[in-house]
Amino acid sequence: MIYYLLPGAGIFGGIKVAYQFVDALNQLGAPAVIAAPGAEAAQWFGSRAAVVDREEVLGSWCPEDIAVFSLPQDYEVLRPIADRLVFHCQGTDPLIDPILLDRSVPVLTCWGQARDYAAAAGRASHDVGIAVSPVFYYAGEPKEPGSVAYLSRRGADVADRVVSGIDGARARALDGLSEAGLAAALGHASIFLATARGEWFGLPALEAMAAGCVVLSLPVVGGMEYLDHGANAFVGEEDDLHRHLLSLHGEAEALPGQRMRLRAMATAHGYSMARHRQRLARSLPEWLDA
Amino acid sequence: MPDPVPLPGSLGIVVPSRGLGALLHHSLLALRMAMRPLDGEVETRVVVVDNASPVPYRLAALAADEVVRLDRHASFAAACNRGAAAADADATLVLNNDVLLDPRALTSLLAHLAAPRVGIVGARLVFPDGTIQHRGVALGPDGPFHPDRGVPSDSVRRSTRTVQAVTGAAMLVRREVLADLGGFDEAYPFGLEDVDLCLHARRRGWVVVCDQAVDSLHFESMTPGRADLDAASRELFRHRWHSACSPDPEEWQ
Repeated sequence: MIYYLLPGAGIFGGIKVAYQFVDALNQLGAPAVIAAPGAEAAQWFGSRAAVVDREEVLGSWCPEDIAVFSLPQDYEVLRPIADRLVFHCQGTDPLIDPILLDRSVPVLTCWGQARDYAAAAGRASHDVGIAVSPVFYYAGEPKEPGSVAYLSRRGADVADRVVSGIDGARARALDGLSEAGLAAALGHASIFLATARGEWFGLPALEAMAAGCVVLSLPVVGGMEYLDHGANAFVGEEDDLHRHLLSLHGEAEALPGQRMRLRAMATAHGYSMARHRQRLARSLPEWLDA
Repeated sequence: MPDPVPLPGSLGIVVPSRGLGALLHHSLLALRMAMRPLDGEVETRVVVVDNASPVPYRLAALAADEVVRLDRHASFAAACNRGAAAADADATLVLNNDVLLDPRALTSLLAHLAAPRVGIVGARLVFPDGTIQHRGVALGPDGPFHPDRGVPSDSVRRSTRTVQAVTGAAMLVRREVLADLGGFDEAYPFGLEDVDLCLHARRRGWVVVCDQAVDSLHFESMTPGRADLDAASRELFRHRWHSACSPDPEEWQ
């Protein structure tokens, strides 16, 4: 059995990516479950991953089991217990460097920057990709002109400053929503501000692109593989974003904004669940049977 | 992908039933029709579990191989477990007495067991008016539910679905799954023991699928006093599984 060890079920992108990964493994015929404290399953997005109790799993570990983890701190917990570890790299903090030194641990990367980071440490990695949940893809619903959405739990202060002084811009903080609720809100929003600093991949921005939003984003370490400034999004620091928002405001429905919107959706379709499964399927024999 | 495995050598069909003799009779006739394609291929045994019927069933009057008589009314889960033990087969089909199987249903269900990780197979069921009664069980914010319930079956797609659970009204289970889990949980008075079994099976890495190829008929909810028993089962299920499963993805709800 493949166990994906998680620290909890809270609203963190890494949690959702882990569930996606487990869902995809199961769809590819590799039995996998989530192991979380108290067998508590995430409730803020949809998934069919079964969840078991993390401590029970660790206490009854079998040699043939595989432990997948993404939190660097879990490496020290798992190493003494599990013969077969697999690192699902969701961030390139230097905390992962000891893991990269352990050549018995296959490294799975979700985006190009992480692959490059591992390569710089002398490690070849397996590209397993990342996906946008189908619920986000734009279904043609009417966009509210001038509406600007952002996630309030990260970068709210930046968003406020970017939006300030733009008359008629209707800023909406998206907070405490389920995945379906977030998708509905993004489907209706014209513009999305991705203002969280320190994002690794910035999945919310890609989800907003899938939802047909014009995205204005701070630079994102891993996100630069899908953010193409001026083509499918605007990328820049606060002042730049404010300037772009000013130019867009009221014009996001005009042709240039529509073109950017279409390119954004096309980009997001490259991160569909089907593509994710294809990438994962190609890599499976290399690390699952190793 | 893993190599396919041979079909089960033996199939036990367990029909828990209480009263409703005429309905049981016709359900068994439909079952016999569905068993015909298996002649010579799979060894079959039909076990009716007489769950304290006021007038005990007579084997001679039924198209069954065995009647297991329970003199005290037992839970659906307990009745299923007694029947499965009596059938002692490589795979067990639990079948409600108000389900009339399509003649092709058994072969369609069994075909899914060629995939070695598939442990439980459900059947697509329709109401007498041709609308969906069951095509898989999904988990929503308020618990398990049947997507597309009441929608005309002709307008619901038929691609086989991997699901979180299926109904025990017509549920095919591998011997290994029942052995692994100790059968259905008899703490459930009536209802949701089927979903509970599926969720436990998935935790052990088994896959649950719902066949969509054919529609079998399910009259549903003819058991007297069901509403009261349901409430107790729902409470037990909520206590056990609340926050232990994620809701199904939006596109499935």
